[in-house]
Amino acid sequence: MRMVLLTVFLALPVGAAPPNAFPWPITTSTLKNGLTVMRVPFSSPGLVAYYTVVRVGSRNEVEPGHTGFAHFFEHMMFRGTRRFPEGARSALIGKLGFTENAFTSDDVTVYTVTGPTAALDTLIDVEADRFRDLEYAEEPFKTEAAAVLGEYHKNAANPALRIEEAVLGAAFTRHPYRHTTLGFVEDIRAMPTRYEYSRQFFKRWYTPDNCVVIVVGDFDDAKLMKTIEAQYGPWQGRAAKVTIPVEPPLKGPAVAKVQWTSPTLPRTGLYFRTPASTLSSSDGAVMTVLAQYLAGQTSPLFKSLVLEQQLVERLGPSFQDHRDPALFGLEARLKNEGARAEVDRAMNDAVTALVKGAVDERRLSDIRDHLRFELLMQFESPADVALALAWATGVLGSPDALERQQQQLAAVTGKALVAFAKKHLIDANRVTLEFTVSKEAP
Amino acid sequence: MRALLLSTCGLAACVTTAPAARTEAPPAAPLPAQAPRPAPRALPALPPMKLVVLPTPGTPIVSVRLVFRAGSVDDPQGKEGLTALTTRLLTEGGTKALSAAELNEALFPMAAELERDTDKEFTVISGRVHRERFDAFLSIFAQTLLSPRLDPNEFERLKTEQLNAVRNRLRSENDEELGKVMLDALLYEGHPYRHATVGTESGLNSLTLDDVAAQWRRCFTRARVVVGVAGAADDALGARVVAALDGLPQTGAAPTPIPSPGRVANQTLIIRRDTQSTAGSFGVSWALRRDDPDFALVFLGLSYLGEHRQEHGVLFRELRDRRGLNYGTYAYAEHHRQAGWSSIPRPNIARTVQDLTVWLRPVEAANGVFATRGVLYFLEQTLRQPLPAERFATAKGFLSGATRIWTLTDQRRLGWAIDELIYGTPGFLDAVRATIATATADQVQRALARHLDPATLNFVFVTKDAEGLRKGLLTPSAGPIAYPTPKPPEVMEQDKAIDAFPLPMVGERVRLMNAAEVMR
Repeated sequence: MRMVLLTVFLALPVGAAPPNAFPWPITTSTLKNGLTVMRVPFSSPGLVAYYTVVRVGSRNEVEPGHTGFAHFFEHMMFRGTRRFPEGARSALIGKLGFTENAFTSDDVTVYTVTGPTAALDTLIDVEADRFRDLEYAEEPFKTEAAAVLGEYHKNAANPALRIEEAVLGAAFTRHPYRHTTLGFVEDIRAMPTRYEYSRQFFKRWYTPDNCVVIVVGDFDDAKLMKTIEAQYGPWQGRAAKVTIPVEPPLKGPAVAKVQWTSPTLPRTGLYFRTPASTLSSSDGAVMTVLAQYLAGQTSPLFKSLVLEQQLVERLGPSFQDHRDPALFGLEARLKNEGARAEVDRAMNDAVTALVKGAVDERRLSDIRDHLRFELLMQFESPADVALALAWATGVLGSPDALERQQQQLAAVTGKALVAFAKKHLIDANRVTLEFTVSKEAP
Repeated sequence: MRALLLSTCGLAACVTTAPAARTEAPPAAPLPAQAPRPAPRALPALPPMKLVVLPTPGTPIVSVRLVFRAGSVDDPQGKEGLTALTTRLLTEGGTKALSAAELNEALFPMAAELERDTDKEFTVISGRVHRERFDAFLSIFAQTLLSPRLDPNEFERLKTEQLNAVRNRLRSENDEELGKVMLDALLYEGHPYRHATVGTESGLNSLTLDDVAAQWRRCFTRARVVVGVAGAADDALGARVVAALDGLPQTGAAPTPIPSPGRVANQTLIIRRDTQSTAGSFGVSWALRRDDPDFALVFLGLSYLGEHRQEHGVLFRELRDRRGLNYGTYAYAEHHRQAGWSSIPRPNIARTVQDLTVWLRPVEAANGVFATRGVLYFLEQTLRQPLPAERFATAKGFLSGATRIWTLTDQRRLGWAIDELIYGTPGFLDAVRATIATATADQVQRALARHLDPATLNFVFVTKDAEGLRKGLLTPSAGPIAYPTPKPPEVMEQDKAIDAFPLPMVGERVRLMNAAEVMR
């Protein structure tokens, strides 16, 4: 369920395309301190995208009471350094004409900046400075914790957050994927007391060997690398090793129940615990295809439930590549509660048909074509390219992940879909969402 | 600015349009009699099928963008939501040759995009496709407009979806959108802008397939469309697109004239909803548009006060960074519609009448009054006090650079180029940058003063304890708020001034209503 948006990002880089389908050369270097720097020339006169991926997300939140910390820490990365104290950094970045943002997922945290090549040297100085020497006092730390709680409240008005919390809670008991990226609300409330822990968090994960800098656009490569080596070279540290709890088998089927008390449409969802996406297995590629195959806009389910019977307002897949075993799902927004049984039955039947070996090869071929063209269409700006590389490299852990994903995808066959479904889309791995509304709108 | 990427654009949450509301709160107390506002300057008329071609070397992707002068202002009285539904039925409901399912199947293997957006006065229908598949795509794209299927089943499906957006999503899922929609309803009472593009419950319930067919012929005409092509495109390709659309009706109905809105000033609407925080949307309609010589200066001034989703804005720095009150607070010199996670303004939502708005993102309910005072206090500071040179320089630098990022994609370039035609402002962003380059704080403040009287601002809140908020807004001072952590002395000192800052609300102009009543 957290995956629909991400499917857009992650499904795009992969495609049944030739190995060199990524249209630009990627140059990758690794500094002596372990920092990986990827560069892609792109036609965007005078402009450049500068992204930094940290391989840390809610997956790394292994200590009780500290859920949501990766996301919270992302906020703290904007709160200043010795050289550029609070406010000075954002003022300087803004004054130079850069736009910036950041986001945190289960597996990665990504810092995004786009702006003028002419100010790239200064940007590199400022970015390297905050990754090397982040420095904030306890008071702004506590103030930012309040902003995170505000973010939670803002999102809590929407059923999506509550649904995500319930499904993850039903699917996981030990692994950090059992909570959302925002974290448990009680942990968010306790964040103001975690100042010392935040310093540790920085030292543990914000290390050169755990980060990748991605530069895309109009720049002079030699000049860029000279500046990067000068600014990031002195950065030292090694990423911590923590033991991520291994999730035991689910022993499903399980049910995640949510009752909503103000007017909205009921929802259902069919989720399965599924393997991690890795470059050494085809599982991620198979799930990327399955997402379209089972619940895309040309799927029989969509045609039947949305267009013909009109039992469902929206139907779609729920999938995102993950470093550890996570969830693959189908989600539907029901027109009314009375449709639930039939929609659940139809979704289960679609999965069962696949398990029994029925594959529509024409649709599979269409999906391959779709992914191939989608790959080519997605790169409109340097930021698009940087984002695709950030996801692939950050989650899969290799600068060539984007290209290797495409190769994996080209190899997905109908037989592979069936084998995957038989092994993983089974009752024991299943979580069903029952999102009901106690006061349906008249 | 910083965003958390989780499920918020998942299935459960993709609310992109929000319905207008029939306000059932008691009528507002009348203002003292004032002269009616002069009629707004009409937007310039454009020749039929005006073509814009913006080739992009090296890209294999073709972008097509049709911008129709058709929007919710064209919804007949009692048929609110008709233009949005018509747009969706054209582009999603299939063609004479292809059912809705077959349309999906035809576009899917080429990963072609076919998107639509209806706003108040303009509707965008856009497509992107790899040049290898352009011929097949163009044929389908044109048929959606020339030969729509107008399928009764699709009509029912899409109408129900819009009704659900009105009945359910806005009311219970998105306090911030609810606040914005109700601010529109407040500012534009009796005006064609009053209802949101998605419609009203009664309006949608009254629609028939015949209404859609009639609206298609009235509004989606040669006379009303600008055709844009970009990317792997040239003049010949542009001419092909124009030729493919040749079968559009020449003229339908004349564009709906846009009158001046009434003078709405210092009105407050508090919407009661079972929510954990207080969301705010403040604003006032004004005559200022991009074609006004003052626009660039005011644009800069509002960016200084509250650039959208950027940390350096005064409201962001003061309310979020220094005080931790909320996720962000932003100010806009022209009507703004959030586009998902993006911090980039959306083109082709031009309006004859514009508005200034402030978006106060949700704050703890106990801090709602203080945060509102804070917005007005820092607005006043921006208008009347010397602007700190460094902060002002940051705002100038930011807009000079960021405006280049706004046009990085082919669809956005087309959008901005077409907006230049719509407003009659050729070279708009270049002109903005030129003005900003030499602008002084004094010029900005004088321009702001020419257009903005803070006493005319109107306020919409969404909160649980509406009566408590009303009382707080009408109380001269509640004392500075309590922070969970100690604040520096200068913040505490400034808080005293914020707390003492007079709020304009007067009892008879503060109305309360339940969210549950908004859509009835």
